Amino acid sequence: METDQALNNDLICAIATPPGQGGVGIVRLSGEGAHTIAAELCKNPLRARTAVYTDFFDAEELLDNGLALWFPGPNSFTGEDVVELQGHGGPIIQHRILNALCQRGARLARPGEFSERAFMNGKLDLAQAEAVADLISSTSIAASKAALNTLKGAFSQMVTAIALDIANMRVRVEAAIDFPEEDIEILQEARVAQDIAKTITSLESILAQANQGRLINSGISVALIGKPNVGKSSLLNALAGEEAAIVTNVPGTTRDLLKVDLVIDSLPIRLVDTAGLRESDDEVEKIGIARAKAQAMEADLTLYVAAADEITTQVNVSDLGKNLASLLGSNDTAAEMPTSNILLVINKSDLNLAAGAPEDVASVRVSAKTGEGLDLLKKAIQESVGFGQENVPFAARQRHILIIQDTLAKVNAAADALAQNLGAEFVAEELFIAHQCLGEVTGIVTPDDLLGKIFSEFCIGK
Amino acid sequence: MQYPEQFDVIVIGGGHAGTEAAAASARMGAKTLLLTQSIETLGQMSCNPAIGGIGKSHLVAEIDALDGVMGLATDQAGIHFRVLNASKGPAVRATRAQADRTLYKNAVREILEHQPNLQMFQQSVVDLVVENDNVVGCETQMGLIFRSKTVVLTTGTFLGGKIHIGDQQQSGGRAGDPPSIALAERLRALPFRVGRLKTGTPPRIDGRSVDFSELESQLGDDPRPVMSSMGKRSYHPKQISCHITYTNANTHQIITDNLSRSAMYSGAIEGVGPRYCPSIEDKVVRFADKSSHQIFIEPEGLNTTELYPNGISTSLPFDVQLQFVRSMQGFGNAHISRPGYAIEYDYFDPRDLNHSLETKVLEGLFFAGQINGTTGYEEAGAQGLLAGINAARKCQDKSPWEPRRDEAYIGVLVDDLINLGTTEPYRMFTSRAEFRLRLREDNADQRLTPMGLEFGLVGPLRRAHFEEKLSKVEAFKKQFKGTCILPGSDLDQKLALNLRKETTLEEALRRPEVDSEKISKALDKPLTEENGDAHPDAQALKQLEIETKYAGYIKRQDDEILKLRRHEGMLLPASMDFSQIDGLSNELKQKLQHHKPDSLARAARIPGMTPAALSILLINAKAASKNSTKASTL
Ligand SMILES: Nc1nc2c(ncn2[C@@H]2O[C@H](COP(=O)(O)OP(=O)(O)OP(=O)(O)O)[C@@H](O)[C@H]2O)c(=O)[nH]1
Ligand SMILES: [Mg+2]
Repeated sequence: METDQALNNDLICAIATPPGQGGVGIVRLSGEGAHTIAAELCKNPLRARTAVYTDFFDAEELLDNGLALWFPGPNSFTGEDVVELQGHGGPIIQHRILNALCQRGARLARPGEFSERAFMNGKLDLAQAEAVADLISSTSIAASKAALNTLKGAFSQMVTAIALDIANMRVRVEAAIDFPEEDIEILQEARVAQDIAKTITSLESILAQANQGRLINSGISVALIGKPNVGKSSLLNALAGEEAAIVTNVPGTTRDLLKVDLVIDSLPIRLVDTAGLRESDDEVEKIGIARAKAQAMEADLTLYVAAADEITTQVNVSDLGKNLASLLGSNDTAAEMPTSNILLVINKSDLNLAAGAPEDVASVRVSAKTGEGLDLLKKAIQESVGFGQENVPFAARQRHILIIQDTLAKVNAAADALAQNLGAEFVAEELFIAHQCLGEVTGIVTPDDLLGKIFSEFCIGK
Repeated sequence: MQYPEQFDVIVIGGGHAGTEAAAASARMGAKTLLLTQSIETLGQMSCNPAIGGIGKSHLVAEIDALDGVMGLATDQAGIHFRVLNASKGPAVRATRAQADRTLYKNAVREILEHQPNLQMFQQSVVDLVVENDNVVGCETQMGLIFRSKTVVLTTGTFLGGKIHIGDQQQSGGRAGDPPSIALAERLRALPFRVGRLKTGTPPRIDGRSVDFSELESQLGDDPRPVMSSMGKRSYHPKQISCHITYTNANTHQIITDNLSRSAMYSGAIEGVGPRYCPSIEDKVVRFADKSSHQIFIEPEGLNTTELYPNGISTSLPFDVQLQFVRSMQGFGNAHISRPGYAIEYDYFDPRDLNHSLETKVLEGLFFAGQINGTTGYEEAGAQGLLAGINAARKCQDKSPWEPRRDEAYIGVLVDDLINLGTTEPYRMFTSRAEFRLRLREDNADQRLTPMGLEFGLVGPLRRAHFEEKLSKVEAFKKQFKGTCILPGSDLDQKLALNLRKETTLEEALRRPEVDSEKISKALDKPLTEENGDAHPDAQALKQLEIETKYAGYIKRQDDEILKLRRHEGMLLPASMDFSQIDGLSNELKQKLQHHKPDSLARAARIPGMTPAALSILLINAKAASKNSTKASTL
């Protein structure tokens, strides 16, 4: 049975070292052509089974330096050509290396895919098989959860909406191809061109949002939200280790967003302080509060800060989603703000009031003043975005972004095909592939599904 | 009595599947018997008198590439030819012909009667002869037993047929055919899954009662296409026009007023009709905002005045049919020559077949055509061809031919059926083919004729024709590669290239605005018609153009196909219990359990499938196979 081939031997890459364990960061690459593109990044020839000390480049830009190790297949971990790039950089650098590899034809490995290939190529024994399958199923679930959490419902809603747009365009293009004798073709092209343009805009705006200086390269955004005077600014200062924000005992001190970049155990974070939420007549404060609300929706993680001395009963914190929603002044918000995305932070623990932590939501007791609980808070931040578990949210997020990039390229190609009058089947082909790209997130759509849509939308049939 | 001679292949049924099956197996040298209820109806077009169309002409081209009957017969019988999608690219261009029913039948019969190794016998089959779960022949109505190594069953809608005209019902096959009850009972006793389908026909009209001056007329194409790659325009009989009329508010009113009397709407029909071929009742109800529907008026033949109004299939009672027909432009005095009706029938779930079209239940028994839940002559013919090939190959102790989805529409058709089954009469559409760009009419011969030669299926004439085409394309390719065009040169100007640096003619051909016609003109070699047919070089040149322009896309699909083949090689054991696999969503588990895919590639085509789920399947399959090899070596 050793003639079995792996499912695919296309090129995959991933970070192989657990996150946050400083020192060396390893990026692993496996599959056909691993050696070639790794050598391109190193601008150095690699030698089989020998550590080569080298720089790592993305085109002309120096990213890192370290060791490059090439294990030609089948004598490697996966049984394929494997290259390991061992650098010094933290997650930011490692992700830039991954990006550079992906731009040269590799793709991000799915969870457990290296092990899967190792197994398929007879490198792991049967006893390990189940573990691999478990790993894939658990991490793929975790990954999609994490992707949802960190990219927020809004992101996946956008992806689903775009998949639907593409399906609808395909309905029209395919209908025009398969049913040219029906009188449904009139004006189709103009409409398809319009829809393609619209989809391109949506895809570009997702990418712009996703890339906004941080999603790929600088980790996650964390917003501090809460009523005035609970100590949000104090927490920002405590976490950042510097007096970045003004702190006074006057409620309503913070008026505008204040962003501070920091790194917690190699997880890059953009921490955003916001104006305390309350009814206000002050023009400036009102704008600040609006911005705070928007920030709460956009952030990967919202820290909902309450002051220990203000919590009198369990009731006002136990239903956190609703509580926050009402603070943010919208009922819909409850639906869009999964509690898993909010962390309750009970500040001013030094005031040592008997405020209990609610049982049904994650919460951390801290004191910005004494520093008590800050370590716990840091850990909780990491865990709530999945950091520390196989680097899942990073990988998931980056994979989603690459999928969107691929999709965009194909939709652009469809636009070109249309503009150049290449023929409807080329437009159809590009849209088909674009749809397939998104199918990795949304599940595949079969030709029969599409035909069903055609028949329900158009009166077809002789 | 047992018939003295023994056969390799017996084909039961003389429709489009049966005739292709019988002809194919005979071409391969298998001693073949075609058993039909009526030799007169061989090759009968029981529905609308047209062959080809989008997706369907691709199947005809594939049958033709394997030297089958349908394309050749169409060129003998076609009275109106068109190319659909002419303004789109070559992959979705499709030839369609109206055929004269009688001429078509005659052509099919002539081909069969001249086919060596093929005998025909007219008699209903009442039973199969089964020994040790192997089919070894069949018995006819008069008790005659024919023995054979394999049997191909292509008996169409003969199972449990029920015809509805409004509130009247009768049992039967197609209008006029006697139902073959005995054989049906025999098959029902076997563990095949059976489903029920429905289809409709429109009322036929006597052309003498129609005022054509009030109809839009539609001419055939000029230059006129041919259906078979061996076809010539001179084979075509006289050409005539088709016509178009429209339903109107009055038509719709009549239908709406009488809906409760439609068999479809009264609930008398339980079968599922095709989504792409709704009855006129359905169209009026479901698309109420459309004030008019286009109706194609197809001539039934040169020597008959009967017309086939395509687009008004119905199960309304006759009096309503007459009313609504007469409400259409030009049909004010129309006389209906045959009422329209809906027919319900049973089909065998194709998931009980192998990809060779041999049944999983009885060895040596093959099913092809409508019996498998498909509709259309072309779909039937394609399956018949495949079943005939594989029945013959089985007699020759050769492994079955299972065309892949990237090789042929026949592969798409069979794979869809066997993998996913069908819940409506299955019809081919190009959108079903994920490798549409390579599955073209123009290259059907390049895709399949070599295979046909290997199978002994393709005769010397077609071989010579095919080889000539290949060598011509090759010669042009060489010439184009070797022809340099200098900026400002004669060719540059004639082709309006505006070159800045030297290029080859091949490169120039890649440009969207350059085509083979322009090039042949620019080379001062206009490829004008010869003896009424396209210049023999024109086809080769066009072929080169298509290949050159498609090259980039084909390359990309090749990469996809490579991936797919790996999936295809990954078999999932039949014993796999998908409901027990951890890590799959319940929805996917159910779907997998329902479809029971036998390879990873097939699993990948199940709606909602994700890469992670595929990985999980793969690992479980591999682990299972390791387990079983371990067990067997113990
Ligand atoms: N005892 C105690 N006091 C704290 C703690 N954190 C903040 N404070 C005090 O609470 C008051 C408000 O602190 P800020 O950090 O300005 O509060 P804020 O939430 O940013 O307030 P706004 O910007 O007005 O919304 C200040 O007087 C802080 O010194 C703490 O952990 N313990
Ligand atoms: Mg503040």
